[in-house]
Amino acid sequence: MLAPRWRKVLRDLTSHRIRTALVVLSIAVGIFAVGVVMGGRQVLTREFDVDFEASVPASAEFDTSGFGEDVPDLVAERDDVRAAEGRRRVTVRYTQGETPEDASTAGWETLRLWAIPEFGRGGVQKLVREESSAWPPKAGEVILERSALQVDRFSVGDVITVESPAGKKVELRVVGYAHDINAIPAQFQGAPTGFVSMDTLALLDEPDDLNHLLIVLDPTISRSAASRIAADIRDTDLSAAGVNTLRTTVPEPGSHFLGDIFKAISLLLLALGVMALALSGFLVVTTVSAILTQQVRQVGIMKAIGGRRGQISWMYLALVASYGVLAVLIAVPAGLAAGRWFTEYAAGMLNFRITDFNPPWWVIAIEVSVGILVPILAAAFPVRRGATLPVVSALNSGSSVHFGHGLIDRLLGLIRGLPRPVALSLRNTFLRKGRLVLTLTTLVLASGVVMGVLSVRASMLQTVDDMGSWWNYDAQVFMARPQPRAALEREARKAEGVSAVETWLESQASLARADGSENEEIYALGVPADTRFIAPELVAGRWLTPEDEDGVVVNTDVIKDEPYLAVGDKITLTTRGVEKEWNIVGIATGQLMGPVAFVDREALDAVIGSSGGVTRLLVQTSEHSSETQERTARDLERRFDDASLPISGSQTQTAQKETIASQLGILVTFLVIMAALLAAVGVIGLTGTMTINVLESTREIGVMRSIGASHRSIFGIYITEGVVVAVMAWALGAVLSWPLSVWLVDALGTAMSLPLSYAFSYTGVGAWLVTVIAIAAIASLLPAWRASQVSIRDAISYE
Amino acid sequence: MTDQSTHLIHLSEVVKTYDTGEIPFTALRGINLDVDRGEFIGLIGKSGSGKTTLINMITGIDRPTSGQVLVDGTPVHGLGENALAIWRGKTIGVVFQFFQLLPTLTVIENVMLPMDFCNVYKVDERPEVAMDLLEQVEMADQAYKLPSALSGGQQQRVAIARALANDPPIVAADEPTGNLDSKTADAVFVLFEKLVARGKTIVMVTHDTDLASRVTRALHVADGEIVEDRRRWLDGELAEEAAERRSVFAPPGAIEVPVVRETES
Repeated sequence: MLAPRWRKVLRDLTSHRIRTALVVLSIAVGIFAVGVVMGGRQVLTREFDVDFEASVPASAEFDTSGFGEDVPDLVAERDDVRAAEGRRRVTVRYTQGETPEDASTAGWETLRLWAIPEFGRGGVQKLVREESSAWPPKAGEVILERSALQVDRFSVGDVITVESPAGKKVELRVVGYAHDINAIPAQFQGAPTGFVSMDTLALLDEPDDLNHLLIVLDPTISRSAASRIAADIRDTDLSAAGVNTLRTTVPEPGSHFLGDIFKAISLLLLALGVMALALSGFLVVTTVSAILTQQVRQVGIMKAIGGRRGQISWMYLALVASYGVLAVLIAVPAGLAAGRWFTEYAAGMLNFRITDFNPPWWVIAIEVSVGILVPILAAAFPVRRGATLPVVSALNSGSSVHFGHGLIDRLLGLIRGLPRPVALSLRNTFLRKGRLVLTLTTLVLASGVVMGVLSVRASMLQTVDDMGSWWNYDAQVFMARPQPRAALEREARKAEGVSAVETWLESQASLARADGSENEEIYALGVPADTRFIAPELVAGRWLTPEDEDGVVVNTDVIKDEPYLAVGDKITLTTRGVEKEWNIVGIATGQLMGPVAFVDREALDAVIGSSGGVTRLLVQTSEHSSETQERTARDLERRFDDASLPISGSQTQTAQKETIASQLGILVTFLVIMAALLAAVGVIGLTGTMTINVLESTREIGVMRSIGASHRSIFGIYITEGVVVAVMAWALGAVLSWPLSVWLVDALGTAMSLPLSYAFSYTGVGAWLVTVIAIAAIASLLPAWRASQVSIRDAISYE
Repeated sequence: MTDQSTHLIHLSEVVKTYDTGEIPFTALRGINLDVDRGEFIGLIGKSGSGKTTLINMITGIDRPTSGQVLVDGTPVHGLGENALAIWRGKTIGVVFQFFQLLPTLTVIENVMLPMDFCNVYKVDERPEVAMDLLEQVEMADQAYKLPSALSGGQQQRVAIARALANDPPIVAADEPTGNLDSKTADAVFVLFEKLVARGKTIVMVTHDTDLASRVTRALHVADGEIVEDRRRWLDGELAEEAAERRSVFAPPGAIEVPVVRETES
C-alpha cells in the first residue's frame, strides 16, 4: 500500500487537474521547442552532409568545346584523380504541352538539360532515382530533377516541347524524377533541370560529343591545390586530347552552393535553440516556484504533525519530477514528430533527402534534463526554503506578504486618483516581487525573441526590397552571342511602352591569384559608366566614371572568394583569353548574382574586341506593373526573333525579385516557423503563469466578494493585473528585441557573405502587443471567473 | 520550585519578542510554568494576550527569544527544526483552530500521515490503528471521504484523531472549538475530557469561558504574562469572568477594568 505522504503527492497531481495541466504544458512547450529547433538543426546538418557526400560531388568541373567518351577515362587514369565523368550540357527553352502552332518561342522558359552517357552508373554527382517509369530514359524521354515541381506543374507522362539551341522544336515525355543534390534547385535559378540519354541529343540536332567534365580529387586537399591540379589537367591531358577548355570551376572542397544559406539557417537554429532552452528553463522555474508558494501552508501543517525536512522535501521534489516526467512523455514524442515535419519541409526547400529523421541522443538528453532536472533544480531552492521555514511562518504564509516598505510600493502608493480597483490591481502586481521578477523575465525573454525574430524577418524582406531598388530596369533580354548594339536598340525602341534602352556587354573572366591559381568564376559586366539602369550600393570606394578606362568595381561576392582585395588594388582579369590589369575603384553589395566585376562597356569591348557588339539589352517602360514587364519582355523576344537576333532568354524585374526573394525566402520561412514556435512558448507560458497567479488569489477573491465586490469589478481587477504584467513584458521585450535582431541580422549577413539591410518590425511589435494583451486578458479572466463561481466560504478556505 | 524532571512540561523565564515593524513587540514576558501528567490546561485571555504564542512555545512551533522549555525532559528550545519535527510527531499531537487537514488526503490518510512521517507502527497495522482512533472520535464511517465533504465539527474530530495518531502523551490545541457551534464544541470538549481520563495531558487555548470552567487548571494570560493560575473555577468568579469577556465586545468608549487575582498556591 502506498504511504499517505506519497498518496498526497499523487492526489495533488490528479486533484488539481487544471493546475497540473498548465504546469505540464508550460514545461512541455519548452522541451518541445528545444526538441524541434535543436533536433532539427542536428538532423538537417547531419543528413545534408550525408546526402551531399554520398553524391560524390565534383572537385572540379571543366566546360569545354567538346570531347569524346574516352577523355574522362584518360583523365581518371591520373594518380591524383579519383574519378572522372563526362556529360553534355544543353540549355534549351521549353513550353508545357505539345508543339504549338505559333512559331514564336516568346514566353518559353529555360530548361537545363544534361545528357549522360552512363545513366545512373556515374561515379560523380550521382543521381538518385525517385518516381520514374523508365530508367534510364530512352530517346525522346526526360527525367526531371525533382525541384522542377517547385516552379512548374509537371506530371509523369506529360509532354513538353523544347527548342534546341539550333532552333529545332522537339517533344519530350517526362518519365520521372530524380534527385540531384548538386543541381541548383529550380526555384533558385528560376529554371528546372532535366536529364536525358545521349540518344536524345540527335533528336535535338545537337552534337553527340560531351562538353562538360567532372572530376573527383582527394577531398582533404585545399582549394588552391585542387585549382592547380585542375589547371594541370586542362593544360596537359585536355590540351593533348585536343580539348579546348572554356572555363574551369573549382569549388571550396566539401562546400555546397547552398552552403551559405545553410550556414545561416544552421546559425539561426542554434541561436534560437539556445534561446528556446533559456526560455523553457525560466518558464519551468517560474511555474515550479508558483506551485510551491501555494503549498507553504500545507508544509507548515505537515511539519506540525511530525513531518521531517527530508521527508517533505522529497515529497515536493517527487511532485515536481512527476510534472517533469509527464511533460517529457508528451513533449519528446511531439517534438520528434514536429521535428520530422520541420526537417522534411526544410530538406524539401533546400532539395536534399533525409534518410534518418532521428536526432542525436544528446538532443533527447537535453530535452529530458530540461524537462526533469531543471524543474528539480528550480524546485530545490523553494523546497528547501519551505521545508526549513519555521512552522509558525509557514502556517501564516497567506498573511506574511509585506507590502508598503519598498521604493516601488511607496511610489505606487503615491499614485492618487486612480479608481480603487485599478489601484488594487497595480499594487497586487507588485505584491510578490520575486514572482513578478520571474514571470517578467520569462515573458520579456519570450517577447524579445518573438519580436526579434519578426524584425529579422522584416530585415530579410527589406533586403529583398533594397536589392530590387538596386535594379532599375523593367525587362532585360539576353543574347546568345554578341549582337550589334545599334540594331538591338533600334528594335527595342519600337516596342510599345519602352521609355529608355541600355545595352551591356558581358563575358566570363578569370582572376589570377598570387599563388598561381585562378578564380574562373567571375563575370565581367561592361556597363555604360553613367548607367541609369542600376543604382549600386557601395560598401567601399566609388562607382565608375566615363574616364575609368581601367577602373573596376567588384561586388562583395568577389570579396568573399578573394578576401584580400581592397579598393586601390590592381587585379588581372583574363577575358576571352586576353589579360588586362584593372584598378579596383569600388566595392558594391552583391545581389545574389555571384561574383561580378563591373567595368566600362567600351573598355571591355576594347579588351575582348566585340566591335560594338552587346550581349544584354535592358529597357525601362513607362509603366512598371509585372504584366507590363512580362508583355514587354515577350514583345522584345518576338521582335528579336523576327529580326533574326538570337536570344537565350529574358527576365523581368518582378521575376528577378522573386528569384532573390525565393532564396532569402527560405530564411524568411524558417524565421516565421521559429517565431510561431517561440510565440507558442510565450503564449502558453503567459497563460500558465497568469492562470496560476489568479488561482492563487482564490482566497483573496472570496474576501473581496464578501465585502461586496461584484463579479465585474473582480474580473476588472485581475484582467488589469494580467494586462499590466503583459504590457511591461512587451515593452521590455521590444527594447530587448532591438539588439537581439541587430545581432542576428549581422550574424546572418556574415554567414551568407551578403550585407543585409536592417529593418525594425513595428508591425511585429504591434501585433505582439495585441497578442499579449489578448492572452493576458483571457488567461486572467478564465480563472477569475472560475474563482467567482466558488462559494465565498470555499474560496476563503481555498488551499 | 520542584525538580524539573518531575514535571511533564516545564517553562522557565520564557521571553518571546517579535521584530515586526519598527518597534519590537514582546509577546511573552518571562513565563514560568510547570504542567504535570494528566492535567487539562486551559489557556485563556484576550486576542493578542500571548496565549497562542505560549502554546507554540510548548509545541515547538515557535521558538523562545530567551528562557527554557522542557517537555518530558527534552529541551525543546534547543532542538533544530528537523529534530523538533520528529520530537513533536511523537510527543505532541497538535490541533488547530481551522482544522488544517490536508485537502487532497482522505480522512483515514490524514490520520495515518503522522505515523508515516514518524514511522510509528508497522505499515500494515496503521490502517487498523487509524480506524480505532476514528472510532474513538466517532468518525469511522467517514474514513474514506475527503475533508471537503465534512462539516467543521467532523473535520475537527478527524484533526483530533490525527493528533492522537502516534499516541503522544500531550495534545496541544489552539482554539479547537473557536470555529464550531456550541453544540459541536461541547462534543469536542467531551472528547478531550475522555482523553484526560485516559491519562493524556491536554493544553488548550480557548476563548470560551463555559468550556474554560471545565478544565482542571485555567491559566489566564494577559499582556504576555500569566496573571492567574487557578485549579478550579468557582461559580461566582466565572460569572465575573463572563462579564469581563463581554466587555471585550463592549461598545467603544466603555472602560475596561482589568481584573487581577492572586494566584492560588
